[in-house]
Amino acid sequence: MAQQDIPMNEMMNMDIIRFASAMADKASFIAEDFAQVLFPKTSVIFNDRMRSNALQYLRSVVGQLEQQICVIATREFDVAQDVLQKIANGGEGQSYRLLADSGLLRTTEIVQHLFIKAQQSELAARLLQKISQQDLEATLTRHLDHQDPVVAEAAMGLLVAQSKTTGTAGEISASLADLSAEIAYAFAWPVTASLARLSGLSGPQLQQATERFLAAHDESAGVARKASRLAQLVEQSGTAEDNIPHPMRDGLSLFIARLARQTGLTSDQIVSFTAEPNMARFVVAMRAADFPVQEALSVFSALDGGDHILTAATYQETDRDRALALVSSWTAPDAYQNAKRILADDSLGDRGK
Amino acid sequence: MTASGKLAEPVRGQVDADGMLLSADPLLMRLHLRSGGAEGGPLAVPELAEICRISRRLRMNLSRAVQASDDDCRIDMWVETRFVASDKEPQVSLAIIDWKERPYDDTDKIDPARERDFDRLEGRGAIRTDAALRIISLQMPVESGHLPDAIGQSLLEIYDVFPPSAHARLLEAVAERQPIRNQRMREKSGSQRLFLFQGQPLIDKAGIFAGYRFTAVPDGPEASGQDAQAMTGKLISDNLFGFQLGPALRQPLGKIIANAETISSKLQGPLRGDYASYAKDIASAGRHLLDLVNDLSDLEAIERPEFTVAADDIDLVDLAHRAAGLLAVKASDHQIRIDLPDEGGKLPACGEFRRSLQILVNLIGNAIRYSPDGSVIKVRVAADEEFARISVTDQGDGIAAEDQDRIFEKFERLGRSGDGGSGLGLFISRRLAHAMGGSLIVKSAAGKGSTFTLSLPYRE
Repeated sequence: MAQQDIPMNEMMNMDIIRFASAMADKASFIAEDFAQVLFPKTSVIFNDRMRSNALQYLRSVVGQLEQQICVIATREFDVAQDVLQKIANGGEGQSYRLLADSGLLRTTEIVQHLFIKAQQSELAARLLQKISQQDLEATLTRHLDHQDPVVAEAAMGLLVAQSKTTGTAGEISASLADLSAEIAYAFAWPVTASLARLSGLSGPQLQQATERFLAAHDESAGVARKASRLAQLVEQSGTAEDNIPHPMRDGLSLFIARLARQTGLTSDQIVSFTAEPNMARFVVAMRAADFPVQEALSVFSALDGGDHILTAATYQETDRDRALALVSSWTAPDAYQNAKRILADDSLGDRGK
Repeated sequence: MTASGKLAEPVRGQVDADGMLLSADPLLMRLHLRSGGAEGGPLAVPELAEICRISRRLRMNLSRAVQASDDDCRIDMWVETRFVASDKEPQVSLAIIDWKERPYDDTDKIDPARERDFDRLEGRGAIRTDAALRIISLQMPVESGHLPDAIGQSLLEIYDVFPPSAHARLLEAVAERQPIRNQRMREKSGSQRLFLFQGQPLIDKAGIFAGYRFTAVPDGPEASGQDAQAMTGKLISDNLFGFQLGPALRQPLGKIIANAETISSKLQGPLRGDYASYAKDIASAGRHLLDLVNDLSDLEAIERPEFTVAADDIDLVDLAHRAAGLLAVKASDHQIRIDLPDEGGKLPACGEFRRSLQILVNLIGNAIRYSPDGSVIKVRVAADEEFARISVTDQGDGIAAEDQDRIFEKFERLGRSGDGGSGLGLFISRRLAHAMGGSLIVKSAAGKGSTFTLSLPYRE
């Protein structure tokens, strides 16, 4: 069983009585945590690298956010408060621990976002095993020479956005610019509440600073939106050579955005499909998008992290009409899909039929 | 609507806190009105209204792809919202920086009417059944006679499986939703003709089995008792192609074409480029042979003394559209536009539907074959007291005056070769036109294109 990694001498310094009380408060959740490990509800396997990456990313996003809010509060609203000024000046933030302990970072929206980010970094690492970083970077430059200047301009935008956020291979680089509006919103308010508590500031300045931060947030600068826009333009330009997206030709972000566009799914859905056993839903999505068999096999092997093999026979025997129907059902709103799944549960018996 | 792609200036709009459209540029206003909105009313384009709602709720700016639709087309947009917080009333301003319209994508769908036209052109019957093999629609060749009250009855109440021993095998294939190939079926009543059935299972959008679509071709030697009697005692009948060689050749040729196309499209796996190219050549040669077999069958049919045509009530405008529809893919391969008479118009004539369609397909097909890429083929109709006329004009090289009679002769190619023609099409077409009481003529000059005119008796 894993132990919380706090050295004994550090623990002794913290006042062991207080630490022991904290442990007692949390003891009732041990069974819950262990149950999640023992009885997972999905077949997705989360490896240690994904967990480590996700936590690192989460810590970084919360840290950047609290700094941004503190900068606005201290410089634009003239808040003179030690804790906030220290954070604004690059001092270590304290919100992460508070928010993590309180469970405020465990919302479905945030955890789903973390999962997608961690899986994306997995895919990037897998891709790098099959293609060099240099070749991967070259994939985007081909669109820079596109005959349509609008496409070329959008490709440049994506290239710039990527260059700002690319971390070292296999790591997620957290950038606030990369957050969608909804995720920035989901993070910003708990961080604000945490700063209010840590600083003891009772006035409206922190709230106003957050509002100003959110109003200035430009999701169009993020990699996901840039990729989505380029995907839209590339699909519209519709030249034969660009017809079938491929991660080794388009790069990961653009490939995902293009497949999402061709299937009507979201980029996040496409990424999460690649984490599922045998990438079954991903294969169905490719079939629905009518990828030729050789392209589908090639894309599969480029993104597969294990030794799974997609055969031509399996792919071709996947009925396209049924694949289209399935993909179409996955494009329904999440709330509807969840409700439908719950209502279809056998435990409800024949009620309502 | 005409806007397309990246706009010089974004299309702008303004939405208030309650979702009312305060102002909109003409393009956005038109889409709003077409979506059922009113001036000053709530923004009626659901996808845009949703993005405004999110922007208002979060009090943030968004930048997203949006797809909207109106009656005519789908519109791909890239939309940016700006949330404007003010003391009075917050607003959301919309800026649409890309606006690309595209027609609804029907290219993947097989138009049932077009499919029926192919069936009729090739003398095939078509039957559609539901999942319980009850007949939903039925269209059989004229010579098979009328099948009273077939709709709603089980296919097996109308047709016997032949030989009877194949009955269980057929039911097994249906139970497993397998395609049905080359199943012989005999009409239980009426002319008791034998047909060769091919059936494809139909799967609906939800992935559920919805029945079969069968095509039925009169089965060769047993097709007509009279013909069979006439052939008795002869090793090779007078109707060599129609009843013996034709059906015998079509089936293996069909297999050769299908397999060669499968190989050339690399559906079974990777293949060297030159091998794929050979397979394409085989498929192309196979199609040429199949056309030749069909032409020879027709040739033989029209030269038989007892050859007659039906006197259907036909509409030449409708036929022109059907023939152009059948050749649409071929025309678009060569960027050729077929300029047709207005679909709302009518030009009634008297002639056999299938044979008239065959003539028009031949004329328009020739026009496509001999026209330069990117040109226009004009199809026009006219009538006088006696005849209804339909003409097909191309922008090809034209035909010299001395050759204009020769092109209607058997196997005459005017020295052309390798273009997929058999040299029988125009001969057959003219004979068919005469058999229907009409004519087929050409007007042309070298280098100035050609106009072929089919005249058929006018029907009041």
